[in-house]
Amino acid sequence: MTRHDDSEFALGLLERMIRIREFEEGVRFLFLEGSMPGTIHQCQGQEATAVGVCAALRPDDFITATFRGHGQALAKGLSEQQLLDELFGATTGCCKGKGGSMHVGDMSKGMVPGIAIVGGGIPLAAGMALAFRMQKSSQVVACFFGDGAVAEGAFHEGLNMAAIWRLPVVFACENNLYGASTRIDLVMRNPRISDRAAAYGFAGETVDGNDVLAVHAAAQRAVAKCRAGEGPVLLELLTYRRTGHSRRDPCAYQPAAERKEWAACDPIERLAARLKERGAIDEAGIAAMRARIVQQFEAAVARAKAAPRPTPQDLEADVFAPAVAP
Amino acid sequence: MPDLATTEGSDIAVVRWLVGVGETVQRGQALLEVETDKATMEVESVASGVLKAIHAAPKEKVAVGAHIATVEVAQ
Repeated sequence: MTRHDDSEFALGLLERMIRIREFEEGVRFLFLEGSMPGTIHQCQGQEATAVGVCAALRPDDFITATFRGHGQALAKGLSEQQLLDELFGATTGCCKGKGGSMHVGDMSKGMVPGIAIVGGGIPLAAGMALAFRMQKSSQVVACFFGDGAVAEGAFHEGLNMAAIWRLPVVFACENNLYGASTRIDLVMRNPRISDRAAAYGFAGETVDGNDVLAVHAAAQRAVAKCRAGEGPVLLELLTYRRTGHSRRDPCAYQPAAERKEWAACDPIERLAARLKERGAIDEAGIAAMRARIVQQFEAAVARAKAAPRPTPQDLEADVFAPAVAP
Repeated sequence: MPDLATTEGSDIAVVRWLVGVGETVQRGQALLEVETDKATMEVESVASGVLKAIHAAPKEKVAVGAHIATVEVAQ
């Protein structure tokens, strides 16, 4: 069964990708204006990985993400309001304003707050999946990480643990070719990351990570395997980061020709072209969708700027567990 | 001047202006080049309009948040 012929489903994917793009573009300017504190790590151009994988999950499935987690958060169902409130450090944010851009998440929506240690989410995802197994739950975990995490010890430990216990984890590696400023071929003799799965005895697949329908189809197969007790699965999603590693990185190490090549396979443009071809939407419809999203974003920014900030009285809240009687 | 430095509180030097006074600039267009404590990079304009004045000359080091340019936005 495929849902890809279902235009309503595909339009939903398009809408989510555009929402992520406009969120990231809007946040880029809020940072430049100086109205948003801290640094930010953005995902323009990588929208299809988050949207494709999360569309294959149930609301009660979990994801782990990294410091570059705005896209996954929006794809997993967090609202842009609770994200913007968090980015502005407001108490109404998804982590009450104490996490900021690098730690967005909401356990009630199935997203562990972002784990900013490279590779840190990998053993954690295996642990969550073990908990689901022990609770006899059918929930799965999708664990997002980048190519930079593959050379970390945690990658080996987490994948091996998940393999020997056949844990329900979809390891979703967003291979955007650069770990900060280091190109993948400088740190990997075999840059095909999906091959690593074979070393642990489970399935790995390389997918066009800028084709949201391909990502969704691969994620659906992987999730089905995990629910059937045949996990884990490693998905390598080939994509490209358009911005610097963080806002403080000028990104001068990406060759112009390479940037141009990847800009030509924009995930939003590709899905939009397919949907236009089949008559599901036209250019005016896409423009209207984008305008509505931008308007909602701007309204959310205005609310976030006015939202309450933590006070010194909030300093210890959620830091210490309540005392338990012996 | 946006907060582009890696070390908190370090000043940012203007390298050169990419748009001249009196010229129009688009939101997102590179307005000037700066040197932080770690890298040289372009800074994009946050508004579309006409560049009316520049308040930080090349080689000048300014604090994060400093007023470095005035852009007149058409209504």
